[in-house]
Amino acid sequence: MDAINWHGCFFLLFAAVACGFAVAVVVAGNIVRMACCLVVSLAAVAGLFFLAGAEFLGAAQLMVYVGGTMVLLIFGVMLTARGPLVSMKTGGGQWVLALVIGVALFAVLLQAATSSSAWDGPRENNLVRHDPVQSEESVTQDAAGQLGLGLLGVREDKIRQENKVLRGGMSGYLLAFEIISVHLVVVLVGAAYLARARRRVQGSGVRTPSPESRTPIPE
Amino acid sequence: MSLFTEPIGLSHFLVVGAVLFVCGVICMATKRNVLGVLMGIELVLNGANLNFVAFGSSVLRPAGTEGIGMDGQMIALFVIVLAAAEAAVALAIALSYYHAHATVDVDRGDELKG
Amino acid sequence: MDINSIIPLLLALAWLLPLGSFALIFLFGPRMGRAGRYSAYLATGAIVVSCVLSFAALGFWLTEHYPHAAAGHGGHVAQPISGEWYTLAEFGRLRLTIGYYIDSLTLAMFCMVTLVASCIHVYSFGYMHEELSDVTDPLAPLSNGQPLRRRGRYCRFFQYFSLFCFSMLGLVVAGNLAMVFVFWELVGICSYLLIGFYRERRSASNAGNKAFIVNRVGDFGMIVGLMAIWTGLGTFSFAEIFSQVRPIAAGHQLQTPEGLSYGLLVLAGLGIFCGCVGKSAQFPLHVWLPDAMEGPTPVSALIHAATMVAAGVYLVGRFFPVFTPEVLLVIAVVGCITLFLAATIAITATDIKRVLAYSTVSQLGFMMLALGLGGWLAGMLHLFTHACFKSLLFLCSGSVIHACGTNEMPEMGGLRRKMPITSITMLIGCLAIAGAGIPTLIGMSGFGLSGFHSKDYIMAQGLLFSTANPGFGPIFFYAALIGAGMTSFYMFRLWYMTFAGRPRDEHVHSHAHESPLSMTGPLMVLAVLAVVAAWNLPFTELGLKPLLEQARPVGTVEGVAGGMLLPNVAMPAEHLAHEYANSVKAEWSAFAVALLGFLLATAFYGLRKLDPADARRTFSPLYKLFVHKWWFDELYALLLIRPVLRISNWVEAIDKRVIDWLADNSARAVAAVARLDDWIDRIFVDNTVNLLARWTYSTGLWLRRLQTGNVRQYVMWLGAGLVGLFVLMNLYWNYATAGG
Repeated sequence: MDAINWHGCFFLLFAAVACGFAVAVVVAGNIVRMACCLVVSLAAVAGLFFLAGAEFLGAAQLMVYVGGTMVLLIFGVMLTARGPLVSMKTGGGQWVLALVIGVALFAVLLQAATSSSAWDGPRENNLVRHDPVQSEESVTQDAAGQLGLGLLGVREDKIRQENKVLRGGMSGYLLAFEIISVHLVVVLVGAAYLARARRRVQGSGVRTPSPESRTPIPE
Repeated sequence: MSLFTEPIGLSHFLVVGAVLFVCGVICMATKRNVLGVLMGIELVLNGANLNFVAFGSSVLRPAGTEGIGMDGQMIALFVIVLAAAEAAVALAIALSYYHAHATVDVDRGDELKG
Repeated sequence: MDINSIIPLLLALAWLLPLGSFALIFLFGPRMGRAGRYSAYLATGAIVVSCVLSFAALGFWLTEHYPHAAAGHGGHVAQPISGEWYTLAEFGRLRLTIGYYIDSLTLAMFCMVTLVASCIHVYSFGYMHEELSDVTDPLAPLSNGQPLRRRGRYCRFFQYFSLFCFSMLGLVVAGNLAMVFVFWELVGICSYLLIGFYRERRSASNAGNKAFIVNRVGDFGMIVGLMAIWTGLGTFSFAEIFSQVRPIAAGHQLQTPEGLSYGLLVLAGLGIFCGCVGKSAQFPLHVWLPDAMEGPTPVSALIHAATMVAAGVYLVGRFFPVFTPEVLLVIAVVGCITLFLAATIAITATDIKRVLAYSTVSQLGFMMLALGLGGWLAGMLHLFTHACFKSLLFLCSGSVIHACGTNEMPEMGGLRRKMPITSITMLIGCLAIAGAGIPTLIGMSGFGLSGFHSKDYIMAQGLLFSTANPGFGPIFFYAALIGAGMTSFYMFRLWYMTFAGRPRDEHVHSHAHESPLSMTGPLMVLAVLAVVAAWNLPFTELGLKPLLEQARPVGTVEGVAGGMLLPNVAMPAEHLAHEYANSVKAEWSAFAVALLGFLLATAFYGLRKLDPADARRTFSPLYKLFVHKWWFDELYALLLIRPVLRISNWVEAIDKRVIDWLADNSARAVAAVARLDDWIDRIFVDNTVNLLARWTYSTGLWLRRLQTGNVRQYVMWLGAGLVGLFVLMNLYWNYATAGG
């Protein structure tokens, strides 16, 4: 019996939580319960990020998703599901269809994920080399620093790359960063516009919105 | 149990990502609630994100093999940001939809059907 | 001024005036006064001026060629004036010109035609009066039995009359055969138009057609003659033809010119005569003239008695130098048959105009006979005198018809007191045509009405011929003699039945009245003419006979011993006929038969001592023969019309059964092919296209169901598509090659 690979154990734990609560999201009928399960699942994914050596990303996941997105979702739930929480049942046939497709997709993905032997994992001998990128030449040791440099246009991990083909392949993400920041502004303005309350709604069979529904979307 | 002793590889992450992805797809396909569909989308995005992170991670692959390096985390970061923005827009759409149809049932929104 | 230039000018003017009148009436006729009444004045004015011009031309002629007593019988022969006004076309040797050939015959014809035409124009004022307003024609019933009502055709009548006068004068003045033929046809078309003047009457339109078609037969012969002349002589000009056929070198005796065989000369003569037979209604083409009486009576008088039918005789006289003895004999035979035949029919006819029509045919036969026997002057003289008294007779009959409203003599009678002028003038006409006069009595030459002189000449010529040809000659003489007797009989029969005795039909009699002055005036003028036409001016040598004698064709004065084909025939010289011994016999015999005819007519119809019905019963077969006009119409119907009809029926049947069948079936085949094509188009092409469209449509409909609008379903499809993509990639994607 070998020593317990704690890395693997934690992975299993987080993976089980993430998968289990993801399935729970699927099978839950209540939207509030779904939201809770999703929070747990996403938090587990954040744990998996930590295990994969992306600490900054895991933190971002926790803060943005669990802290931000989920709050947003909950707000949405509360804004829309007024009155008795009507559960909208899905027909059995559609469940079967969705499951068939889901299982098939899963099978395909599983096959793809396990078909490459290079992805099976590091061998026993280099398990000790916990962090191969750690070296005295690296400007920053932490992932957050590297990400920040990457966003500013400097690919710290590529500087030391011997392979010319791989080195020339990528540059920084400054342009993408700028585009995304502008994009976010546009998106939020658009969201505010879409969610604004309208005084009058045209068309029949549509309930006139009550004044209290004109709640601005929280950021 | 070999899983507890063997080192975790890229494939493991990919399998978890696949599970999340498939759960998201099924969630999208079965939930009639707009917000349920949105949650499915979050799951799908997280599955994909997990894959990106795993591909970019250097600890999960054998020595001497090159992954996508920092790019994985970068893209994952973008995905998280975009997912947040998407959630904001989607919620705005959901509210608008709710105003128009007085319900959050996506099956009602079939005005454009053939 | 030289007469060689002034006479053609005057005659051209006289000739073209009626054409101008025709053109004006044609263009403005209905606008000339109410219902075109002034068109009559225009036409009459034109012809009267023509008449004056003609007499002026005659006067100019006489200043140069005054007939002298010594000039008779070939002593002084006036040279004819010939020339060309205008050249229409030249085709190689063939020259088509508007030329003139003017001698005293031409001038006399001009004067006669214009004078008679003037009288008849004036007469038409009264006769055609009812055409001024709308006309109700009971003889042309509509399909519902009502009489036809139509607009009056007053100006149309005078328009045709003017055209006719122009054509007739053109025919007379013509200097070549081609021009003669053109005007020959023009008078024919005028005749056709005027016979069919009451074209709504079936009988009238049929008569017009008959006249036209029968004349075609004659004209066909004439064209043959023209071709023979032109191939042989290369010219149509009268002057050139005569100088070639009777060259001066040969003493104007008939010779076969170069290029023209004797047979061809005979053929040419026969061909020209054939045209004359048609136009002058000679046997066997005489059938059209009696039917032509369907036209208005002035038309009958002018065209079908005085002028147009005489045109045939005129042409024979004009072409006389070219006729060989054989042709002359044929002319004589035809004329002889005609005069006898027509006279017999006239005896039994009861329609007053038909009697006169057959009388006309008979008199034309006399003229032909005279010409055929060599009596040029006799024939021509009779042509002129006949024009005078026959137009008089026709106008009188028109007056009677106008008064009675019927043509049938048995319905008339006793009109003498009602219509004194008409009855007297008609009596004069009858006496003239019968040849009344005092024959040569001891030392005193014969003297009588115009008909007496002309008929006398004919009889004398006939008698001379019979003595010259003892074998067959007497036939002609006796036929002419019997014809003359019958003429007298039927003319007085007509007069007695119409004017004498008791009225047979009270209704007709009570309505009868004397005609207006516009009708009786011309009657009186013509009556005077009928009496004096053949007389010389008192105490002078000036008269019709000496005038015509000037125009006698050179070389025909002496008789001919015989032709190449018939050497036995002797054509005696005409002047021999006037020898005392010959002429006195002829005069007395003619006088005797005329008197006999008159007495018979008086006995039957005047005094009613004898019953015509008795005679009819006694001569029943003959009567039937005559009253049915010798069954000529029936014979032609049997011989010609029915076969033609049958052939045309066959042809029609072939047309209907075969050609139509072919056409129909080819059309049907085309239609069938088209239908097949249509079917193929519908079944295959259309169905293919429709199938595609339907398939597209149904596919679209089916695909439409995919667009459920259900978001979740789309997600499922998305997932399924993803799976499919993965499967395909796994199956077909080669990683080794893809990676490079």
